[in-house]
Amino acid sequence: MPEPTESAAVEIRGLVKVFRDFWRRPTVRAVNGIDLTIPRGKVFGLLGPNGSGKSTTIKILLGLLFPSAGDVRVLGESPRAVAVKQRIGYLPEDSHLYRYLPARETLDFYARLFALDRATRRARIDQSLEMVGLAHAANRPVGEFSKGMARRIGLAQALINDPQLVILDEPTAGLDPIGCRQVKDIMLALAARGTTVLLTSHLLADVEDVCDRLAILYNGKVRAQGTVQELLTVPDTISLSIPELSPDAMRDLLALLRERLGIEPRVDHPSMDLERFFLDVITKAADQPASLSGAAHTGRVAEFLRRS
Amino acid sequence: MRPIQPFFALTGLTAVEAIRQPILVLLFTACVTFTAVTPMVLLHTFGEYGKMARETGLALHFLLGLLAAVQAAASSLAQEVRSGTAAVVLSKPVGRHTFFLAKFTGIALVILAFSLGAALATLLSERVAERLTHTAAGAEELIDWRTAWWLLAAPLLGLAVAGLLNYTRRVSFGSTAFLLIICALLLVLLTSGAYDRTGARASFDLRVDWRVLPAGVLITAALLVISAVAVSLSTRLRPAPTLALCGLIFILGLLWEYLFGQAPTSPLSGWLYSIAPNWQHFWVSDALTGGGTIPWSYVGQVMIYAATYIGAILCLGTCAFARADV
Repeated sequence: MPEPTESAAVEIRGLVKVFRDFWRRPTVRAVNGIDLTIPRGKVFGLLGPNGSGKSTTIKILLGLLFPSAGDVRVLGESPRAVAVKQRIGYLPEDSHLYRYLPARETLDFYARLFALDRATRRARIDQSLEMVGLAHAANRPVGEFSKGMARRIGLAQALINDPQLVILDEPTAGLDPIGCRQVKDIMLALAARGTTVLLTSHLLADVEDVCDRLAILYNGKVRAQGTVQELLTVPDTISLSIPELSPDAMRDLLALLRERLGIEPRVDHPSMDLERFFLDVITKAADQPASLSGAAHTGRVAEFLRRS
Repeated sequence: MRPIQPFFALTGLTAVEAIRQPILVLLFTACVTFTAVTPMVLLHTFGEYGKMARETGLALHFLLGLLAAVQAAASSLAQEVRSGTAAVVLSKPVGRHTFFLAKFTGIALVILAFSLGAALATLLSERVAERLTHTAAGAEELIDWRTAWWLLAAPLLGLAVAGLLNYTRRVSFGSTAFLLIICALLLVLLTSGAYDRTGARASFDLRVDWRVLPAGVLITAALLVISAVAVSLSTRLRPAPTLALCGLIFILGLLWEYLFGQAPTSPLSGWLYSIAPNWQHFWVSDALTGGGTIPWSYVGQVMIYAATYIGAILCLGTCAFARADV
């Protein structure tokens, strides 16, 4: 078993979690010998189908579940230590909010759990509401929110303590493409200033967009892990992008490639991905004035999360 | 300062969330309204109108308070674990014991508010009840109609103003109604001091039977005990089994004195007698019959019993929650 390293935000060695019934009989082995190291300051993706052990692993990292075997260190400490949670932010799979509390009171409540003083709380709440586009709904009970709006408040509460490690379980679930982009931008901004982000998602494109490293779980075991580059690169093929050529120039280039390399190159136009196209359309539409009832697209990251 | 702030935040949130639940407001309103109506509809009381009003008020306080306490306590912790809000809170720098104790303290605050309202309603209801009154026309049995109508209007007024504030300012209906009803009852109590039973102006005197107060305090202590039991059970059980078990404990607690209290026949029955909460200690309204009183020294002893019981139950609950998967 390797020694824990200073540079790792999370170290998991031989983790096992067995759920038991009322009579203490084992019912499910949700995690079955996971070894994982998440470096500091990186965006780490935890992928896997339903029931693969992602959420169980996350709950163990947060000290909410007790491991049946194995060793877990989070930011160098046991996940059961209350003090280490001062440096962690967590967004669960469902936002799990107190439905009668308005958005502002919700954030104030979570900020008070970190014993933040009143001035800091007020500044961070204002910035967070602005960041997630819900400043106009600050006094509405979160029980009245749509799923996407609840997700945004959930994200704001996860970041209210300016954490060193952010654990986001399906952060883009229920969000529109603008919201997804915003969340991804926030993750990248956090990583750029040294925050570690642990992310689970079923949306593989999201993971590919933001993650530096990822691990794939299945049946409670790690089946693959590494950098996105390492895992996704097709080693025996390259692509070459060049500006539009005249038909004659293109014909000459292809002839040269066939003659010199003896291969048949494939030629097509690169296409914009749908997310970028959608965002272009919405950005243009957002320039025209309109009333908003849901979340607004601000494209901003809270100031307290931008300071390094 | 550091560990205290999350505790207060959690306590406040628990209390606010509990009184925002429609079921709590419904139980509270029912308790106050039925207590208010009782002296107006009493029949065949053999001249003991005051006793009937008092005992009905105290019984409603106990019964509906019990339902409110168990419902709030059972749903508060178990519901939070099930819904996932407990997981989010415990992912913050909040110890499990802090979370658990704050849950109980929040529920206790709600029980205290409920009991304050119920006690005020009982005091006023006892004042309203028909009794022999000396008037210019001679001695006659009179209901204090002026106070009666104000007492009946208090919950309705509280609900109406809360509804209006909810419509115009979007404030929470449940918590606002809860607090406004208590304020309205206090106002009725204070203004009723300015007139006598016939409705004529008189020198300020509240004219209520303060002997009711110790009985209300004892019932409040009982409600706190059952809240502690419910919160502790809900660390491992869902709300429905918690409610069922609390109901069973309540019934057993009423029968305990008769089953095991007279003469413990075995070490087991003696042990059972000492561990079950004995509700007979808390229900002593009979002592008020015929002008009797409940000594405050007795109230003090029962409060020590309740505090010890609550402490022991909360210790068990803390241990149970410390190792629970959330």
